[in-house]
Amino acid sequence: MADSIQLNHVKEWSVLRGFTNLLHKESRAWWGTRRWWINAILWPILLCGLMANMLFVPAIANLASEAEISQAGSLTAYVIQMGLSVFFEFGMIALGIGAIILLQDSIIGEKQSGTAEWLLSKPVVARAYVLAKFVGNTLAILSLMLGGPIIIAYSMLSIRLGELFPARPFLLAAGIMTVHTLFYLALTLMLGTIFNTRGPVLGIGLASILGGNLLGGLFKPLFYVTPWILPKTASLSASGLSLPPEMGIIPLTTTFIWIPIFILLAIIKFENTEL
Amino acid sequence: MSFNDTLVIETKGLEKSFGNVKVLQGVDLSVKQNSIFGFLGPNGAGKTTTMKILLGLIRPTGGSGSIFGRDIVQESVAIRERIGYLPQQPRFIEYMSARENLEFTAAFFYTGPKSKIRMRCDEMLELVGLTDKAERPIRTFSGGEKQRLGIALAQVNYPDLLILDEPASALDPLGRQEVLEIMQRLRKHTSIFYSTHILDDVQRVSDSVAILNHGKVVASGPIELILNGQGSIIYCMTIKGEPEGLGEKLANLPWVTHTSVSQHNGSSLWQISVNDEVEAETNLLRYVLADEMITVTEFNRKKYELEEVFMEVIKGDGNGR
Repeated sequence: MADSIQLNHVKEWSVLRGFTNLLHKESRAWWGTRRWWINAILWPILLCGLMANMLFVPAIANLASEAEISQAGSLTAYVIQMGLSVFFEFGMIALGIGAIILLQDSIIGEKQSGTAEWLLSKPVVARAYVLAKFVGNTLAILSLMLGGPIIIAYSMLSIRLGELFPARPFLLAAGIMTVHTLFYLALTLMLGTIFNTRGPVLGIGLASILGGNLLGGLFKPLFYVTPWILPKTASLSASGLSLPPEMGIIPLTTTFIWIPIFILLAIIKFENTEL
Repeated sequence: MSFNDTLVIETKGLEKSFGNVKVLQGVDLSVKQNSIFGFLGPNGAGKTTTMKILLGLIRPTGGSGSIFGRDIVQESVAIRERIGYLPQQPRFIEYMSARENLEFTAAFFYTGPKSKIRMRCDEMLELVGLTDKAERPIRTFSGGEKQRLGIALAQVNYPDLLILDEPASALDPLGRQEVLEIMQRLRKHTSIFYSTHILDDVQRVSDSVAILNHGKVVASGPIELILNGQGSIIYCMTIKGEPEGLGEKLANLPWVTHTSVSQHNGSSLWQISVNDEVEAETNLLRYVLADEMITVTEFNRKKYELEEVFMEVIKGDGNGR
C-alpha cells in the first residue's frame, strides 16, 4: 500500500506548518458555500440602501430645515453629508456587529465540536490555525462585506453630486472603516481563544461596539485608545473636514495597533490551550 | 501475529493533572511496531488523555514519552507527520463531501500531483467501502459510515502509527465488525494503538494490551500472557474413571496450592492451582496418569476470558480508589 502511489510531501515553513491548507479551508467556508452570496447581497442592500434613501428620496431631503441646508452650503451638500453619515456611522457599527456575529463561533465552535482537536492532530502548528482564521476571514469580509458597499456608495455619491466625488477623503474614510471592522474581527477571534462559550465573546464585542460611545462620553481619554469614535471620524473625514489628532490620527493608530496585539494574544492563548 | 521488537510508542512515568485531579499517574507503555495494541480501561480511566498527550494536543505534567524515538512534547509536529488519528467522535468539515474531506486531509501531507492525491483518496474510500458515497454530503452518513470515513481520513497519509480512540464503541454489531475488519486489513501496513472498553473486540484483534484504571496501568503485555491470568496458575483436567484419593495425593505435592473438582456427564473436571509452572507442566499429567484406572481426556492450562482478567485486575486495584 505505502509504495503504490508516490506523492510529493508538503514543504512548508515549519513555523507556519499547515497554514496554507487551513487558509484554504477558511476561504472555502466563505466562497464554497452560500455564505458568500448571502453576504455579497446583504451588505450592499443594508448599507447602500439606507444611503440611497438619504441621497435620492426627495421626501427625506425635504425634512431638512433651512438652517441645516444653509449650514451645509446647499441641499446637495446637505444630503451628501447625511448620506456619508449614514453610510459610515451606521455602516461601521453594522459591519462591526456583523463581524462579531459571523466569527463568534469560528474558534469556539471548532473547540467544542472537536474539529480543532482533529485539525491539530495533523502536522499543524497552533499559530497557523489562528492566522488562517484571521487571514481567511479578513479577505472574505473585506471583499464581500466592505468592497461591494464601498464601490456602490462611491458611485451613488458621484451620481448625486453630478461629478466624481473627491476620492481622497472617501478612501481615507473607507480605510478607517476597514480598520474598524478588522479591530472587531481580531477581537472576536481573540475572545474565541480565551473563552469556551459564545456568551462572553458576543457580550464583550457587542458591549464595546454599542456601549463604547457612552463610556467614552463619560471618560474622554478612552476615545484615544479605542475605535469608539472612529465611525464619526470616518463620516467627517469623507466630507473633507480636517480633524484634530484626538479625533483622527490618535484613535486610528491605536485601533490599528490593537489588531496585531489581539492576534498575537490569540496565538499565545491558543498555543497554550489543551484541546 | 508476528511483529518486530522496535518500539513505536514508549512512555515512562507519564503523568497528567488537571488542577488537583491526577488523571494519569505514571503510565508506562511500550507499543511494538506493526502490532495492534489495545488500550483498555473503564470510562474515565485516562485513555483519551493519554492519546491526546501522545498527539501533542495536551502536555504531560510529568514523565516522558517518545513516538518513533522522537520526544512527544518537543517534536510533536514531526511525529504527527507520521500518525493517523481517529477521535472518539470523528469530525469532518461539514460543507465538504467525503472525497473533499479526504483531499483536504491529504493536503496537510502532500502537495500533489492532484491526480495522484485523487487516486490516494479513491484507494482510501475503497479500503473503507465508501466508494459509492464519495460525493455525498457528510450529514447524510450513518454512524458506521462516519466511523469508516474517519478511519480513511486517519489512514490517508499511510501513517506508520494509527491512534484510534474508541473506534467501534458507538457502533452496532455490524458496524463494529466492519471497523475491526478494516483494522485487520491495515495491520500489515501500520501499527495500531487503539482504546476501547469492548473487551470482546480486543481479544479478537489485539496482539498486546494495557489495562488502565484511574490513571494507572494495572496490567500490560502480550494478549496471550494476559489471558493466562494475573493471579494463580490453574491447570484444567477432564478425567474418566474413578480417581481414588487423587485430591489428597495432589494436595501433598509441594507445588500444588489448591484443587477443586466437579462432575459433568460421567467425567470429573479438575482445576488444579499451582505455584510452579515448570513443575506442573513437566510432572502434573505424568503424576495423574500413574493411576492406571483413569483416563485423562483433556488437559490444558486455564485460559481466561479477557473480561475475567479485566474484572480481576480492576477489582484487585480496589476499583482504583
